[in-house]
Amino acid sequence: MTHQTHAYHMVNPSPWPLTGALSALLMTSGLTMWFHFNSGTLLTLGLLTNSLTMYQWWRDVVRESTFQGHHTAVVQTGLRYGMILFIMSEVFFFAGFFWAFYHSSLAPTPNLGGYWPPAGINPLNPMEVPLLNTLVLLASGVSITWAHHSLMEGNRKHSLQALLITISLGIYFTLLQTSEYFEASFTISDGIYGSTFFVATGFHGLHVMIGSTFLTICFLRQLKFHFTSKHHFGFEAAAWYWHFVDVVWLFLYISIYWWGS
Amino acid sequence: MLRSLLVLRQIAQRTISTASRRHFENKVPEKQKLFQEDNGIPVHLKGGVGDALLYKATMILTVGGTAYAIYQLAMASFPKKQA
Repeated sequence: MTHQTHAYHMVNPSPWPLTGALSALLMTSGLTMWFHFNSGTLLTLGLLTNSLTMYQWWRDVVRESTFQGHHTAVVQTGLRYGMILFIMSEVFFFAGFFWAFYHSSLAPTPNLGGYWPPAGINPLNPMEVPLLNTLVLLASGVSITWAHHSLMEGNRKHSLQALLITISLGIYFTLLQTSEYFEASFTISDGIYGSTFFVATGFHGLHVMIGSTFLTICFLRQLKFHFTSKHHFGFEAAAWYWHFVDVVWLFLYISIYWWGS
Repeated sequence: MLRSLLVLRQIAQRTISTASRRHFENKVPEKQKLFQEDNGIPVHLKGGVGDALLYKATMILTVGGTAYAIYQLAMASFPKKQA
């Protein structure tokens, strides 16, 4: 029986990178089949295998850390770097969409009437639901901080309550935004305004859903006593991601909803 | 180095135990025992029979789906002539 004499984590061989890569193939070729041949089978298969991969991969990470103890200080440092780099890559992802928005809105072409919002576009009132959405996400930033402090102080009841409030606010945002999408007088095909609006806010909404899911996993893990007051990186990663989602919304609100109206 | 592993294990076991609800008992120590058993089983199968079933299902869907994707690619590459 050999034991390691270092503090790093040499993972067991795992099938999930392969299934993940293949699921990406199925999702992309599935999109092609859907766009060009009106067939949803491959896409469904891709989404299903992608979900199965993510579930099993992250289930294994929980096993390796909470149950097997492999997440030493240096391993946790690596995970912190990883999460920071990932969030930075997402920042660049959104930067592209903001670039597109400003490119078109700072110098509106004659086709649009030479002004922004373009001719014929009736933008949403930034002081109505969008402002509520802003307050909802800001409040969720407060509640998640409360959750973190409760966790660090060993207060189980409060950490669960605060996490639940955060998740509820996230879901509330999603519901409000969905209703806004139906209420809007313009669609994604309404010129460059529609494209920039729905692609930027749409990807943001997707990230709210991802963040809410991550927080829900943290809630379930906290219920099951996985976190300790000193070691709860999964929660911290979720909190970082959630704050990132909040900041993106603030930029969206100020640029597209407020300045852009 | 090894001591830090042992210390981490102790910290992991010293979980928050102010459980006010009777429904949730701390089952982490049981899980730790199960997953630390020295049986050579890789972590993705170490949880039991359910793991193996889920793994097989995922593999079948993924590999089968890949074969189907290649088949669709072959079909799309040679469009049928109009009569």
